[in-house]
Amino acid sequence: MKFARVGVALAAAAIVVTACGGSGGGAGKALKIGISLPLSGSALASAGPADKGARLAIKEFTLAGYTVAPDVKDHAVNGVHDPQQGAKDMTAFAADPTVVAVVGPFNSSVAKVQIPISNEAGLLQCSPANTNPDLTKGDAGKQLRAKQPDKINYVRVATTDDIQGPAVAQYGYQTLGLKKVAIIDDTETYGKGIADAFAAEWTKLGGTVVGREGAPKGTTDYTAILTKFKDSAPEAVFYGGVTSTGGGLVRKQMPQAGLGDLVYLGGDGIQDGPGTTDGSFINIAGEAAANSFSSVAAIAEYPGKADFDKKYQAEYGEAPGAYSASGYACAQIVLKAITTAAGKGDITRESVRAAATDTATTFDTVLGPVKFDAVGDTNQKIISLYKVDLTAAGGKGDWIFDSQVNYGN
Amino acid sequence: MTAVPATNDAGRARSGAGLRPLLRLLVPVAIVVAAWLYMGPEQFVNAMTRGAIYALIALGYTMVYGIIELINFAHGDMFMVGSFVSLSFLTRLGFSGAITNVGLLAVVIVATFVFSMVVMGLIGVLIERFAYKPLRRAPRLAPLITAIGVSFILQNVVQLFYGPFQTNSPKIFPDTWFLQFAGARIPILSLFIICVAFGMMVALQLFIGRTRLGRSMRATAADRDAAALMGVNINRTIAITFLIGSALAGAAGVVNGLQYGVSRFDDGFQAGLKAFTAAVLGGIGNTVGAALGGFIIGFIEVAAVVAGYGRWGPAIVFGTLVIVLVFRPAGLLGQQLGERA
Amino acid sequence: MSVVSDLPTRRPGGPTMAQRRSRLREISSRHRSWSILIGMIVVGAALPVLAEIPPFTLAQPANAWIDGFTNAGVFVMLALGLNLVVGVAGLLDLGYAAFFAIGAYTYAYVASPFGNSILGIDILGALGGPEKAGIIFWPMLLVGAGVAALFGILLGAPTLRLRGDYLAIVTLGFGEIVPIVFLNSDALTNGTNGIGGLARPALPIVGGFSGIDPWLYYLTMLGLVTVIMMFCYRLIESRIGRAWEAIREDELAAAANGINTVVAKLMAFALGASTAGIAGVFNASKLVTVSPDQFGFVVSFTILAMVVLGGMGNFWGVAVGAFVIYTINNVLLKVLNQFFDQTGFPILKDIDFIQLQFLLYGLALVAMMLLRPEGLFPNSRRKRELHTAITEPEQDELGTAEATTEEGQR
Repeated sequence: MKFARVGVALAAAAIVVTACGGSGGGAGKALKIGISLPLSGSALASAGPADKGARLAIKEFTLAGYTVAPDVKDHAVNGVHDPQQGAKDMTAFAADPTVVAVVGPFNSSVAKVQIPISNEAGLLQCSPANTNPDLTKGDAGKQLRAKQPDKINYVRVATTDDIQGPAVAQYGYQTLGLKKVAIIDDTETYGKGIADAFAAEWTKLGGTVVGREGAPKGTTDYTAILTKFKDSAPEAVFYGGVTSTGGGLVRKQMPQAGLGDLVYLGGDGIQDGPGTTDGSFINIAGEAAANSFSSVAAIAEYPGKADFDKKYQAEYGEAPGAYSASGYACAQIVLKAITTAAGKGDITRESVRAAATDTATTFDTVLGPVKFDAVGDTNQKIISLYKVDLTAAGGKGDWIFDSQVNYGN
Repeated sequence: MTAVPATNDAGRARSGAGLRPLLRLLVPVAIVVAAWLYMGPEQFVNAMTRGAIYALIALGYTMVYGIIELINFAHGDMFMVGSFVSLSFLTRLGFSGAITNVGLLAVVIVATFVFSMVVMGLIGVLIERFAYKPLRRAPRLAPLITAIGVSFILQNVVQLFYGPFQTNSPKIFPDTWFLQFAGARIPILSLFIICVAFGMMVALQLFIGRTRLGRSMRATAADRDAAALMGVNINRTIAITFLIGSALAGAAGVVNGLQYGVSRFDDGFQAGLKAFTAAVLGGIGNTVGAALGGFIIGFIEVAAVVAGYGRWGPAIVFGTLVIVLVFRPAGLLGQQLGERA
Repeated sequence: MSVVSDLPTRRPGGPTMAQRRSRLREISSRHRSWSILIGMIVVGAALPVLAEIPPFTLAQPANAWIDGFTNAGVFVMLALGLNLVVGVAGLLDLGYAAFFAIGAYTYAYVASPFGNSILGIDILGALGGPEKAGIIFWPMLLVGAGVAALFGILLGAPTLRLRGDYLAIVTLGFGEIVPIVFLNSDALTNGTNGIGGLARPALPIVGGFSGIDPWLYYLTMLGLVTVIMMFCYRLIESRIGRAWEAIREDELAAAANGINTVVAKLMAFALGASTAGIAGVFNASKLVTVSPDQFGFVVSFTILAMVVLGGMGNFWGVAVGAFVIYTINNVLLKVLNQFFDQTGFPILKDIDFIQLQFLLYGLALVAMMLLRPEGLFPNSRRKRELHTAITEPEQDELGTAEATTEEGQR
């Protein structure tokens, strides 16, 4: 084993040498914030804005004596997020001593392989979009942190599906007054999880789930499922999943099956911008998108929204996506932790991690004040609900904010 | 026991004529009636529509296999490219929503079919010329791998042009047109698609069975060398096979766009896999078998949903395939032959 | 294209060079296992050194390289196993990832709390908690191989009587079914969430493996690849190996010569599957989580492409092919992107090489088949076969060479 250790030491030395050589100008000690997101293929549409948000925050940041730069690693393989590549990228971040924190990942399946690695490395990770409860809570969360169970190193700014799913159920049952619902999920971690949470809450409220089907990504024909639903006369269809796995297509095919007048409900997976955005829910569903509702596991009317939109527009020449502010907020939290660590002495992975996961600290982010609980989940348990307005976005349709519910204390 | 020498290769690709004709007629009829009673008219039409698309794609697989014994893996992607060709055609012409004028609708649909089938047929011939023809005398695996490569290329070229997300295909056929039938709601579009598919299959059968070119295709499939000696232009015959197979994939692409309204660069894989399964199920090399296999797969998938096993759909499809192959290794209509020597 | 021959007199380097070469080849084939061992030690030592020198260190830290090499090693194992099936025995298996999945899930059942609760035996607890329980990794390599081989036989027994093309589609279907079964059997497999919290491997003195220090995984990978490679060479030089080659060349003739083709084909299938099982156990122990989406058709096709590009039938070639393709796909393209982005090179900086990767991959496959079908590192016998077949004039529809070689491939 000795030569292995020597190898590691050599590697570390080589990195330090190149890193110092790289920063050249003497602007201070070089630090890097890793960004680990799927950034090519079909994954780019949803994760790209989070990356841009995070990079914008890092660009704006200054700290005397340090230069902080993003280190972006894309773990999409063949256009889809790839857990194995995500694990490898996390190992690469862990091996680079100048990386003090990571923003990402986007998908729960990637988080599941990354958290054991970042936990062992004591490397802070902030996800802008993960909503799967198992990543932090209960036994499943503990298993991911097996190496250093007491050191929480993973935090997230999105609240979990066990809050988001029920929130949609409550909205549908109480606000919209629906009683019978049929559910389709895309058989993936996010989609099935949120559909299960929705179904449980719906039944608890007194509603009836009249149909439950699953159709994996790549399904193009939902007519058989929809025809089956029709026989049980639901008042609404809930879709657990994202647009690219079928969220828009199901809605688009409902009129043909004679279900065009039904209410359509979904989570943040179908909330992906106006009809002018290629491949978005409203773009795919077209006129059928009317009467659709979705949630976002984030505050909609955040205080700095107008300001942020302007900055983002100026930087990238486009409007922010659904997760731009979340990516920005994650970077803000990491940067705040770095500042705190610098104030206390040296900036190390451990000092940054400790500063970010301190349950007493309130972070002032673009999303508003954020605090993390004992397992790293945000206290900002706000679910925003949106409704499709087909007259918005120049007649192409857009999601219009309807209401937000605070499930926090 | 595995390797029974083929006694006679001639007619290998055609169905086993004279094989218990009564049974061959009765069994399908019984199955169709049972399916109708089990799933009801609406799901029956759904299954037929889905099956029609699989059948159109499966024809291309089976024709190419019949003539050059190549599993043309890129064929599913040809279907995908076909759907993009048709959606681009419609979008360029400025159509986006339903066309309610029957005359205009008919003209536009015919034009779309013609355009898409011609373009796809030509693409198919080009691919054959540059990717498969040089490998005609190479070992089995070489063209197969090439086909996998072509499949990657097609997918990624489309992705470069249209992006990684779903692209809308104009739903020019009005959703509001349907028949009321015994309390069921049957979309006219579905009936139209089923008719188109049957029409093309009949035309294909007539072409293969009654024309000179069709005869040279059959001859080439049966024995390429002997056909060449008899004066059949092998290269041209193979090119025509690709032309027709790819044109049918193009037609399937048009149908797909009309019915589902969306296309994506990776649509071809799943559809191709199921269509290929259909071709094998029916007896690969046999055009009637491929069409039959396509409809069977459509029915299996819809029946799985009706029975509450929608999540298991693909597993049931492939499971059926394995069972059929074990008990009837050459597929339902294929001639039972051992390993070709 | 000229027929490349192995005859020494044709070599431009002159006879001495050729003689030296053939002597070396003779020694290496007489002491096959030793030469594999030495070769692997050289490669295994050279790679980390490479990772420490400038052009490579600029791309990513050395540990990340080591980790990447380890992942590439997983694909090398898979490619070696598939080569037994496709390259040596000539059976086209398009659902090879299924056996990879079976190996991974086998490990997950034994080495995770969820798996133990399904089995009803607290294996982790009995071994003294998740840290120490990693010791079970080592016997599990064999168990995983065995379980995968069992499934290989189960799948192979009914289907190997079929013609080659039917086998391809059945294996393709099997490759689709297995992830669906893992996905939908929620109670048994935790469905789409997969099984997490797997124990990392452990050794008595060294202790547990680490997720951030890739060295122990790297060394284990080298060991496994070496053993598998030795095993493969032993196999193809044995009676069964000859039988496989005979079947690949001409199944009828093989059967006529007294080879039990069904048993031989089943052996190829089972042994190929067991290699994938080992790779699955190793990979699961490294990712510490298994889920159905890790084993899609893309994995099967990638491995097949590796075997083809490396050169079917040649184990060293396939290993190198797998390694090179993995590294290009997962490292080089990303590095190219970063490099051109940072330097602001005109035109090239706007190209997303990662998005192009499967396009390049497809072009490589087609070009390879058209120009060099024997692969980058061909097996010499295979190369001769391929080139006789291809360079035969096309007009000669009834050529005798075609009748003997090409027909034999069917």
